[in-house]
Amino acid sequence: MQKQEVRSPQSANLAAFWTFLIVVAVLLIVAILNAPTKGGPQVMESLSTYLNEVRKSALPFILVIGIGAVIIGILAGRVVRREWVDRKRRGDLLIGFLFLLPYLFVTLTFVLGVLLFALYISFTQYDIFTSPKWVGLQNYALAFRGLTDPVRKDFIQGLYNVFWYALIVVPVQTALAIALAVLLNAPMRFKQLFRTIFYAPSVTSSVVITLIFIWFYLKTGYLNFGIAKVLGVFGIPWENINWLGDPRGLFQLIAEPMGLRIPSEQWYLRGPSIAWMAIMFQNIFTTAPTFMIMFLAALQDVNPALYEAASIDGASGWQQFSKITLPLLRPIILLVTVLGTIGSLQVFDQVYLATQGGPLGTSQTPVYLIFSEALGKLGPIHMGYAAAMAFILAAIIFIITYFQRRLLERGTQSY
Amino acid sequence: MKKRWFILMCAVVIIAMIMSACATGNATNTTAPIEPTSAAGEPTSVPEEPTTAPSVDETQPAAAETGIPVTSGECPVAVEEGATITFSGWGDDTEQKIYRDSIDRFQTACPGVTVDYVPIPDKFQDKMKAQMAGGTAPDVFYVDDQLMTAFSPSGQLLALDDYMSEAGVSREDYIPQLLTIFTQDDKTYGLPKDWGTLGLIYLPEAFEAAGIPEPTADWTWEDMREAAKTIADGGQMGGFCMNADWARFAPIVFSNGGTFVSDDNQTATLNTPEVKQSAQLVADMFTEKSLVRASDVGASWCGEAIGKKLVGMTTEGGWMVNFMKQNYSDVDWKAVQIPSGSVSRADIIFTNAIGVNAATKFPQASAALAIYLTGEENQGEIVNTGFAYSTHPTQADLIQDPNDKAISEGGLLEDSRVAYWGPNTGKVNDLVSKAIERVFLGDQDVDQSFEQLQEEAQAALAGQ
Repeated sequence: MQKQEVRSPQSANLAAFWTFLIVVAVLLIVAILNAPTKGGPQVMESLSTYLNEVRKSALPFILVIGIGAVIIGILAGRVVRREWVDRKRRGDLLIGFLFLLPYLFVTLTFVLGVLLFALYISFTQYDIFTSPKWVGLQNYALAFRGLTDPVRKDFIQGLYNVFWYALIVVPVQTALAIALAVLLNAPMRFKQLFRTIFYAPSVTSSVVITLIFIWFYLKTGYLNFGIAKVLGVFGIPWENINWLGDPRGLFQLIAEPMGLRIPSEQWYLRGPSIAWMAIMFQNIFTTAPTFMIMFLAALQDVNPALYEAASIDGASGWQQFSKITLPLLRPIILLVTVLGTIGSLQVFDQVYLATQGGPLGTSQTPVYLIFSEALGKLGPIHMGYAAAMAFILAAIIFIITYFQRRLLERGTQSY
Repeated sequence: MKKRWFILMCAVVIIAMIMSACATGNATNTTAPIEPTSAAGEPTSVPEEPTTAPSVDETQPAAAETGIPVTSGECPVAVEEGATITFSGWGDDTEQKIYRDSIDRFQTACPGVTVDYVPIPDKFQDKMKAQMAGGTAPDVFYVDDQLMTAFSPSGQLLALDDYMSEAGVSREDYIPQLLTIFTQDDKTYGLPKDWGTLGLIYLPEAFEAAGIPEPTADWTWEDMREAAKTIADGGQMGGFCMNADWARFAPIVFSNGGTFVSDDNQTATLNTPEVKQSAQLVADMFTEKSLVRASDVGASWCGEAIGKKLVGMTTEGGWMVNFMKQNYSDVDWKAVQIPSGSVSRADIIFTNAIGVNAATKFPQASAALAIYLTGEENQGEIVNTGFAYSTHPTQADLIQDPNDKAISEGGLLEDSRVAYWGPNTGKVNDLVSKAIERVFLGDQDVDQSFEQLQEEAQAALAGQ
């Protein structure tokens, strides 16, 4: 008798209908919880004042999400109707989603909902305390205005800086991590001790490391002292550099002895500044060991028989490394490069602690700019502009990661 | 093989997750110390709360610690029955102690009001904005220009004028310049709780070694330059210490008759001859090496350069008193009021206020607290601790330390002013620091740099 009930299309339709309702309701609740309304005590006083405000200013947002919710609901309903007839798959489906439910709700509310909120806000002018005002693509245009108007170069300069950062930091730290991993994978004494020592910078708080490096980089700090001592042996005079406060660019330093002057209007020809390269160095120091651990883990997985066979065939150590180790590490190299690039493009805490974007904006980064605009550090709160910059950055990261994958995945599966 | 890859990938993912978790954990715990950051050559070396001393030595018994004197205080405003209000401000242990004592005095004056003091020593402004947006902000809290910009245009702050007249307090009771920031549409949204300014700080021994007379209260910037050059030429220490910092630059501009922005906060006035003349003085001093930056001599800020006897002179504020007492008690230093320029003698004023949340359930009690804390009675008690200056001109003589008093005199001059230019103040001032930095670097001359600054500042004033 039960079997009959199960097989009846009516109950499947009913289940599909309920699924549709639940999906739409949950998504709408998530949308309402993340509705782009103004904040402030008058709105947040009670649920009804909040809902009132949602009705007043966030209906278009709810409407768009609502349409999306209906589409997703229909799709989910169709899946449920198809699966419902099979008793086992029905059970799996129910139990699966039951287990997922708490996490799913949290993710939807605090990740997806916030994401949609930010996307909406990026098309508006919003200072938290007044209702968002729709301005279309103005915020996005504003971010790129630095391309034509040198007065508003903040975001463009930030992007320029992080591109140099990624271009220098990612290859160097990856190479360094592979080198460290291969060295520590070799049979030697006190291997564990060295692993611990090399890994130490990665487990130390980046705040502590930054503070130590600030001292290290002082004009009267250890770095200048050390360089002066070493050069002093050869009789070369050394003029102390205020490492974290020197905006002279790499190309500028190369060009100036040749009598070429790069004016400050053409800052984009100057290359990464001394201050910025100092931060890069510090970042390589802290993240290379993190990735070293990944490479070490991957190296454990390389079949020793391969090296044995290669050495019988007369392959040198370098050949073994370049023909066996490196190709086998390729998936991890991909992972490390992608993670490294994303991390580089999002660099924030070193800048926040060490330079606050200075000197002369040469260590300005998009995330630091987003932070200061969103929190109104130097003026009114520009949540919309900050959100727009965040989405531009996310798009750039997505594109770069996509091409990196295509480039590095080619030929990965040949072993 | 496949399975192994799977396990490896899982391990990698787990490691990555742990790392990212660690990373975020760190990021949320970041506390940015003010002094080491300025070591990095960053021009903004004005402390976040510039009007107050960095901290007071625990062993220095502040007057307030000797017990709360019985005051004959009356409650300024008739308060609601059984009101409970929350009060938040930044501040280290010293400031918290001073405000706990102040609240005790208030509760004696206004019995029946319960004040819940919730100090927020770090990231105060960020936290207040988040709390305000969520509707959980305290009833009474410190207000600075950043919070004024964020809160007052949308009406999150309570206008205090009605309560002030009920209490018999008028705007004239306060030092007039202090109210500039906290006034909008002729209404008062915050009452100044303390203020600070800059004075000329110097080491007498530097002048003795150079064989020149010590600075006097009628010095001009040119006198300062001469002395700085003589000291620097001696080769023992730097002459005058100044970073590429708008706040240290402002008194020179003001005293030469210039300003950063026009009075209506609409037009930048940073390419005027007065401003360029001031910048030229700084640039020339830098070229002739009579002016050094703190980082040039190996200090994190100019106050420390004085403490370490690396420079002969600098411009700093009242916070030097406790800083030197605490860290360099054996160094003999002195202060005179700020030198005068070609037009007048004028100083920069820093100030913060106490404001009331417009959504408070107890507006009477909250306003009473704000008025009481900034009132003459309580300010008199705070001045006695040496912690901050009173915001009432009548109490200027209460400052006890002679150096502190000399510094404060600059702020009481008629032409002294607050460097506040409306909502985009922070951006304009930051741009000024950058323009000075470009000049120091030799990247541009004063003309180029300040013409560029004028354009940038104008764009910043126009909003986005």
